[in-house]
Amino acid sequence: MAVAYEELTPGHEFPPVDYVLDAGVVAAYVEAVGASRRSYVPPLAVAARAIASLGGLIELLPGTIHAAQDFEFSRLVPVGSRVTCVARVQRKLSRGGMRMLTLEMNVTDEAGMPVQRGRSTIVLPGA
Amino acid sequence: MEFTAREGAVLPAFVRQVTQPDIKRYADASGDYNPIHIDEAFAATTPLKGTIAHGMLVLAFVSEMLARAFGEAWDESGRLSVKFRSPARPGDTLTVSGQVDSLLSESDIVWATCSLWCRNQADEVVVSGEARVRVPASL
Repeated sequence: MAVAYEELTPGHEFPPVDYVLDAGVVAAYVEAVGASRRSYVPPLAVAARAIASLGGLIELLPGTIHAAQDFEFSRLVPVGSRVTCVARVQRKLSRGGMRMLTLEMNVTDEAGMPVQRGRSTIVLPGA
Repeated sequence: MEFTAREGAVLPAFVRQVTQPDIKRYADASGDYNPIHIDEAFAATTPLKGTIAHGMLVLAFVSEMLARAFGEAWDESGRLSVKFRSPARPGDTLTVSGQVDSLLSESDIVWATCSLWCRNQADEVVVSGEARVRVPASL
């Protein structure tokens, strides 16, 4: 169940989210962004799914926007892989009508090996 | 043409126009249906006054420029840190560019640190940041 911004605190860890990066998902991504064809999953396709999965974990109001993003890629992911993303609240800021969240995400493969880490800062519409 | 990472080298630019159908395609591909990207009526009521591209769509263009310059090394071991400075809107033509600022050896690995920008047709900075990528040690 999605958690409201007000209920989140730094350190809050969300339940893991699994997703499969099958050929259809990868082809749709490659076409959408005009990426070069690769024999593996483009790392931003892995990240795109991880970030989209946050929508099911947090009550993100319409109008939420992305302010900053960091990534560290650790290994290539074969097409058809199932990966797991675990997200955690690193920072929460609410001041003068501005509400921000910084979330850390760790994506691992089926063997539990690191695939990529990310840190997203998002700005939610004022209350 | 293959890119050779040397300090001061300019990365081959990546240019792409963003359209509303592109944004919808990205929403379908990523599963991110935030209405600020796809609902023109809703977006018109927000301070942004219209739809904007997903930040991750713009980052895909940044990553594509780096993948074309550095190949598999980018996808396998790249580091990226960016800030979204202004929104990319439907109709914008985005140009991603960058340059190699430094080459640093660490335990038999050479890392190239690059500064990056993505600008729109009005030369406004949409994204700025830094990337780090492994390059061949012979450089």
